[in-house]
Amino acid sequence: MKKIQVAAIILLAASTVFTACKKEELPTPAPVEQELITTVRLIVTNNSGFNQTFNYKVDNGFGSAAQGNVQIDDVVLAPGTEYNAEVQVWDESKSPAENITEEVIEESHHHLFIFQSTPATGAGSISFSNGSKDNENEPLNQKITFTTGAAGNGSLTVTLKHEPTNKNATTPDEAGGETDAQAIFPVKLQ
Amino acid sequence: MYRTIQVFLLSLCIAYTSVAQECNLNINVTVVEKHNGRPLYPVVAHIDELGATYATDEKGRFAIDSLCPGKYTFHFHSAGYEHYAEQVTIGRNTELKFRLAHLEGTVDEVVISGTREHGLLQDRDELSSRQVAAQSGKSLADMLQSINGVTVLSNGATIAKPVIHGLYGNRIVMLNNGIRQEDQQWGGEHAPNIDPFLTNNLSVIKGAASVKYGTDAIGGVVLAEPPPLRSTHGWDGELNLAGLSNNRMGVASGVVNHNFKAIPALSFRLQGTYKKGGNYRIPGHWVANTGVEERNYSATVGWKKLHYGAEVFYSHFNTDLGIYRGSHTGNEADMLAAIRSDTPLVPADFTYKLARPRQHVVHDLLKANTYLDSRWGVWRATYAFQHNFRQEYDVQRVETDDAQLNLTLNTQTLNLNLEHNQLWKLKGEVGVDGIYQENVMQAGDRVFLPNYRSTGAALYAIERYYGSDWTLEGGLRYDYRWYEAFNPEGRNQQVVRYEYNFNSLSGTLGFTKRLRDDWQITTTLSNAWRAPQANELFSAGLHQGAARIELGNKDLAAERSYNLNIESKKRFGSKLSTDVSVYTQYISNFIYLEPGADILTIRGYFTVFNYKQTNAHLTGTDLNAAYAWNHKLNTTAKASFLFARDVMQKDWLILMPADRLSLNTVYTTNLSDKLQECFVSADAKYVFSQWRIPANFDAIDYPRPPAGYFLADVSVGGRIMFNKQPLYISLSAMNIFNQRYRDYLDAFRYFIDQPGTNIVLRLRVPFSFNEHQHQ
Repeated sequence: MKKIQVAAIILLAASTVFTACKKEELPTPAPVEQELITTVRLIVTNNSGFNQTFNYKVDNGFGSAAQGNVQIDDVVLAPGTEYNAEVQVWDESKSPAENITEEVIEESHHHLFIFQSTPATGAGSISFSNGSKDNENEPLNQKITFTTGAAGNGSLTVTLKHEPTNKNATTPDEAGGETDAQAIFPVKLQ
Repeated sequence: MYRTIQVFLLSLCIAYTSVAQECNLNINVTVVEKHNGRPLYPVVAHIDELGATYATDEKGRFAIDSLCPGKYTFHFHSAGYEHYAEQVTIGRNTELKFRLAHLEGTVDEVVISGTREHGLLQDRDELSSRQVAAQSGKSLADMLQSINGVTVLSNGATIAKPVIHGLYGNRIVMLNNGIRQEDQQWGGEHAPNIDPFLTNNLSVIKGAASVKYGTDAIGGVVLAEPPPLRSTHGWDGELNLAGLSNNRMGVASGVVNHNFKAIPALSFRLQGTYKKGGNYRIPGHWVANTGVEERNYSATVGWKKLHYGAEVFYSHFNTDLGIYRGSHTGNEADMLAAIRSDTPLVPADFTYKLARPRQHVVHDLLKANTYLDSRWGVWRATYAFQHNFRQEYDVQRVETDDAQLNLTLNTQTLNLNLEHNQLWKLKGEVGVDGIYQENVMQAGDRVFLPNYRSTGAALYAIERYYGSDWTLEGGLRYDYRWYEAFNPEGRNQQVVRYEYNFNSLSGTLGFTKRLRDDWQITTTLSNAWRAPQANELFSAGLHQGAARIELGNKDLAAERSYNLNIESKKRFGSKLSTDVSVYTQYISNFIYLEPGADILTIRGYFTVFNYKQTNAHLTGTDLNAAYAWNHKLNTTAKASFLFARDVMQKDWLILMPADRLSLNTVYTTNLSDKLQECFVSADAKYVFSQWRIPANFDAIDYPRPPAGYFLADVSVGGRIMFNKQPLYISLSAMNIFNQRYRDYLDAFRYFIDQPGTNIVLRLRVPFSFNEHQHQ
């Protein structure tokens, strides 16, 4: 009988231990979206004083499951013209906004920007040349020359690849690696 | 290469045949109560020299065949009985009778209920210590695959979790040394953290088994049981070594047992395992970043007197695992490119080095238990503390040493149990369970799970009524579970507190009858339930292996399962024995992922998969037949079929194991005094392509389930005796034809083939120094 009492006491003691300390909160720290990119920014200039910035901004990071705000600028350029383009990636969820481009340039050999135009030629197209190099003199394309086609509408896809297996690729599939960002801008040549 | 070694081993065996002595003795053992001679059931018998464990049947009997002449030390364990050890010299076929004394010495009703390890009548299959040792180097789940009805869910060759009758993960419970393993198995890429070398016995209970093992045991239970501590003074132990060719893996594991001469009640065991492998190889290619390293150890101290005892057990599991670089994709287009490619997109050479993505997991278990024999029965109290720390290192743009996920799960459990002595014709156990759990992330971690805590309590009773040639078992359990989660939500990541309460009854009813001496039928009806898990309630993130977003559902209700299992074990003459089991299981509120809307992220569009509930109906059968051509040549055939339906959609359930057939033939012979138990064995397995897929499969998953495949394994080995010192050696070749294949339940099926040929050399050296031997 005594043993049952002992067992009962152990049980009671244990249940107190289990329940006693449950008042304190266990607040979850705000999760950090690792290396978040919210914005792909195109800065387009030319010798005749043209200077425009086009944003492709998606609030959604990798962790969210509901559609956030989306802001996509039309890339409006003149037909048959040469432009200097620079692409930047930003994390605008932080304040002040963080320029991720610096990290990309620091690790330039592990990154590649890929530009694709639809259509590839003719009205509404853009062709690309003179892409900038990485620290091992292979393509990075953070800066590139745009040559616009005849007047018309099209689209421009800018993809940032991480650890590409082929640095000379002109499409994301050829490049291998992992897609860090992909922006599709509507193009209006007028 | 393999052939040469095989020929070498065979000729080695043949070289010794000159003084051949046959190991063909058959021994029948009966265990009875010392005072009235009634048979004892169940009694666990362990034989040191064989490293094997037997259990008596209802008539107190078990048989050992193909035994070599020699000296054997028998140990007997049964609840309520004194531990008994005796050394016996066996030279011819014989009947042995052992008498065990009840601890009280005065009680007349002596037949004691099932031990804790053998408590349920449910369909149960075991791997003995020998079968475990014969597979050393494999993961726990891979070992269990040799049990009919058990398959694996894997992420390549290094991460695998067991699947029982189509259910896995949080729908099955794993017991590590009697303690429910709580180790953060959130997804398919989270393998159980148990060192298989800890156990000498792995068993699987198929079907719902909540009454005894607690909530969540909808699909079944995996039990990893270490052997009992040494109870006669002296030293013994074992050294296991394995070398695997495919990933150039080495495994070493050792265990030492001691019982003190001066303090006979005191025993201890020390055990440790080290394992290191590099990139593994699929036909034609190395797989980038798939190395593995494991460092595990454990210590047990026991104090065992006649009527009471106590034991403290501590184990540490520590692993580093690489994950194939090509399986983490940036968006759907990356994933499709990887699927379309016939070869791995990330090229690699062999290396032991791990890069990102990788995991580091530590699991500690501290267990203290005590028992007391009284005239009521055996009282037991068990307390356990588990600490699980999981780190995940993602691919990062900027070089860093930090892990992107640092999750800690601490669990405390307490169990009090009374295995009561016979009351009329009833035997059984009653008990209470308590659990307290906390799961926390670190500041700076990426989105995964909110912090949460949970407490639970349960009451249970399982009783058995023994008839002449039948047994009826009934069990009832009440569980209460409380959860509290702190989920950061919205733009400001405001922490919102959620509270959940679940409580439910579960039950089991089993009946077994021996129709004739050679035919036994067991029927069990059981139910189980499972509260939704934190990731099912709260997950809101990208699943990088599948390029999709998984969205938790805070309104999920508990899953509830009803399971009927009928098993027939029948022998036909002395050569053929069969084991047929048929099961059907209805699960209400079955939680699954359903594809929903696409959302635009900076990497492109992703499909959001929502956790939903439906009713599921799983029916299947496991068929086993063993045929002994003679006492040296044995063939076993197995087949397993599963039909898993979504009752509400009137459709098949996704991601269920395909049907499979297997055939094993083994030839065992003793070639001489020096070369015993020489064996050659061949295994063939055919896995069908899974054609039972939902109608909307193409919208959810791509590509279709892979083709069926055929695999062949061969093994050769034996026991070499150096004087009295045995050395077990074996050489095996898995996937001997270097077959290219993919498996539907492997998450890497999208990217790469399964591993190619793997040649394994295994050595096992048991040793024993008895200072005093029983006569």
